[in-house]
Amino acid sequence: MLHARVVDISKEKIELLRAEKFIASSKCGASIYFVGTVRDLNNSKKVIAMTYDSHDALVIKSFEEIYQSSIKKFNFDNSVVFIEHIKGKIKLADISILIAVACKHRNQAYELSRFFIEEIKKKTPVWKKEHYEDGDSEWLEGNPIQKN
Amino acid sequence: MKLELYGASRDFSKESFIIFNLEEKSTIKELRVAIINFIEANFQNNESYKKIVNSSAFCSDKDEIVNDNYKISNNEKVGIIPPIGGG
Repeated sequence: MLHARVVDISKEKIELLRAEKFIASSKCGASIYFVGTVRDLNNSKKVIAMTYDSHDALVIKSFEEIYQSSIKKFNFDNSVVFIEHIKGKIKLADISILIAVACKHRNQAYELSRFFIEEIKKKTPVWKKEHYEDGDSEWLEGNPIQKN
Repeated sequence: MKLELYGASRDFSKESFIIFNLEEKSTIKELRVAIINFIEANFQNNESYKKIVNSSAFCSDKDEIVNDNYKISNNEKVGIIPPIGGG
C-alpha cells in the first residue's frame, strides 16, 4: 500500500501524524520514519532557507515506479509506504521529505526505507535552491535523472 | 511549442515557460539547439546556462522522459528536467 504526495508549503506542512495514521497496521511489527530537513550549512555557506521545485506529475509517477520496483526487488508481505515531498520555500529544520514505512520485521523496514530515499535521489524530479545569510541564493547542482 | 521550466532552468525567464516557434515534428535534439540559441541571444552566451541545457532531460506532455529523437507535435508542452537533487 502506498501514499504518495507533493505538499505545497503555501497550503500545508508535512505532518508526521498523517504518516503515523497511514502506516498503522497490526500486520506490521516495525516502522521506520526517514525525515529530511533543511540544514544550516552547505559548502561553508550559512543557509537560512531552501526552495524546493518539482515536476509534480513526474514526482508522483516516480514514487509509484519506485514502489513497484520495491515490490519486485523485496517482495515483502504487507509492507506499507508513505511518502510526501515538500514544494516551495521552507525554513531551517523544516521537513522537506518524509518516508514512513511499516513492514513485518525490522530488517525489512530498514532496507525498504533506505531503498526509497536512494531511489528518490536518482529518479525523482525535485530541485533545491539554497538561500544564504548574505541574501544570495543558488540552485544546487544535481545529477541527470535516471529512467526506470 | 511551450517549454516548461523547472529547477535551475527557471532562471532562463521571468515566466515559468518559454515559447519556441519550431517546425512541425521537430525533435528534442532540435529543441536543445533552439534553447542554446536563446541563451546565446539573451544571456551573453552564459556557459553555466548552456551546461544546464546540455545535461537536462526532457519530459513530454504525457509525463514521460523522452530521448533526443522524440518528435514534438504542434503546441505540445515539453518540460526541461535539469539534473535533479531532491530529498
